[in-house]
Amino acid sequence: MDLKKYEKLAALNLSEEEEKRISKDLTDIINYFEILKEVNTDNVEPLVYTKGAKLFMRKDEKQKSLNKESLKKNRELFNGNFYKVKKIIGD
Amino acid sequence: MDILNKTVEEVASIARSGEVSVKEIAEQTINAIKQKDSKIKAFVHIDFDAVIKRSEELDAKKDKSGVLFGVPVAIKDNMNMKDTETTAGSKILSGYISPYDATVVEKLKNAGALIVGKTNMDEFAMGSSTENSAFFNTHNPVKPEYVPGGSSGGSAAAVKANEAIASLGSDTGGSIREPAAFCGVTGLKPTYGRVSRYGLIAFASSLDQIGPFGKTVKDTAIMLNAIAGFDPRDETSVQTEKEDFTELLGKDIKGKKIGVIKEVRDFELQEEVKNSFNDTVKALQNAGAIIEEVSIPHLKYALPVYYIIAPAEASANLARFDGVRYGLKVEGKDLRETYEKTRTEGFGTEVKRRILIGTFTLSAGYYDAYYLKASKVRRLISNDFEKAFSKVDALILPTTSTTAFKLGSITNPLQMYMNDIFTIPISLAGLPAISIPSGKDKKGLPIGMQLVGKWLAEKELLQIAYAVEQELGGKNGI
Repeated sequence: MDLKKYEKLAALNLSEEEEKRISKDLTDIINYFEILKEVNTDNVEPLVYTKGAKLFMRKDEKQKSLNKESLKKNRELFNGNFYKVKKIIGD
Repeated sequence: MDILNKTVEEVASIARSGEVSVKEIAEQTINAIKQKDSKIKAFVHIDFDAVIKRSEELDAKKDKSGVLFGVPVAIKDNMNMKDTETTAGSKILSGYISPYDATVVEKLKNAGALIVGKTNMDEFAMGSSTENSAFFNTHNPVKPEYVPGGSSGGSAAAVKANEAIASLGSDTGGSIREPAAFCGVTGLKPTYGRVSRYGLIAFASSLDQIGPFGKTVKDTAIMLNAIAGFDPRDETSVQTEKEDFTELLGKDIKGKKIGVIKEVRDFELQEEVKNSFNDTVKALQNAGAIIEEVSIPHLKYALPVYYIIAPAEASANLARFDGVRYGLKVEGKDLRETYEKTRTEGFGTEVKRRILIGTFTLSAGYYDAYYLKASKVRRLISNDFEKAFSKVDALILPTTSTTAFKLGSITNPLQMYMNDIFTIPISLAGLPAISIPSGKDKKGLPIGMQLVGKWLAEKELLQIAYAVEQELGGKNGI
């Protein structure tokens, strides 16, 4: 498994030591998944949410949203309304 | 009067009558925590002044009718409570102050509970021993050199050590039931969708469910009364009528059919666990239940299915932790590097391992072979349970195949995952299940038995669990 590729997809950048440790575990774990090949799943529909969860509609009414004062306890807001990040558009 | 060895019902009634003020209850709880928690380490964030303030507010209340009035309740550190630090056991959330209350917290407050503090857990609920907490290990109150189980280890330990009367945990693959078994308390995982997860930090959204710990079956039933119910803010929330989950407690279980799963015999069980299982089956028979054998043919596939599905969902859910809006932020030269540095420094090894597994199984070229395949086998497992429940009213099996293990003794992740072999299949099917104390092993470590109910049949499940608890009561009663 090309660990670097998946690190990049997951926005992680592991140290060499951590890579070594994790890469062996991942190989073992993924090998363990092979047992599922025994199971015949022809014509079986995947199950994601167990029964019960039914989509519902709510009235289109104004609702309370998060209070800015409590958001500010975590990060300073720029111009009172925005989170500040480094520039992402090239010159 | 020593409040902390009492049940939820007793404490609420004492507090309501005014015999003991909520402030005195708060003081006793704080003293107990100060005295014991340096050894147990169940709590990760606690503000004693805030607890006293909350108790005074409760004392000043005219309406004392809440089912949890004055009852000290601890909550797992992955539930948002306004103006408190919520870290999900992770460094990446250190310093994060919740801007709102989770639905369960709102409901606890409405029921008059005295919320004590946040309990330790495996980082993002990924683990079975609470050793994956970024902060410290929690110790099993029965024997401190042993793990309390996980991931809700702190919540189970707090109740066992009488540092709280009841607590909330979350269960994705066994994270309430396994620590309940290891610590010798009662832990209930409700039906998927029964309790709102709004404000719960998500791990694997098709599995996560909040539930209570208590000393007794009745305590967990009263807690469920307080926290259950439809919530439009959680789109997987099930629309149900309001129920009283204590209604059937004490009612005869004569003639109820209880299934014993044939395939459980294929797994190796610790001798004392096996004996305790047989004793519990006998207890059910003594109470008038009829035991029948049922089959869950795909049982052994549940573990690999879970370890594909849960990390896949986690890899998506944990993408939100990027350092921009809250918690840890490690600056890099550009935004991309800021994300990478924050996440690499903020997440612990097990979390990284699962994010990478999930990223791999969802990636182009592997999706069908892993994620899709696992979701299909999940359907087969769910069908197996459905078939079993066409014949019986509940199932019984051990919560875990062994009792608690020593801190630091399991270092191989696959071996750690095996702790959840009997809890995961039920989570995949979304069914309610409860772990109750059923005995002790030679070392004195608690053993837990798991009863599984039909979909949304918590009332009946609790009725059966209560009957077993009464039958076993002599040696395991509190």
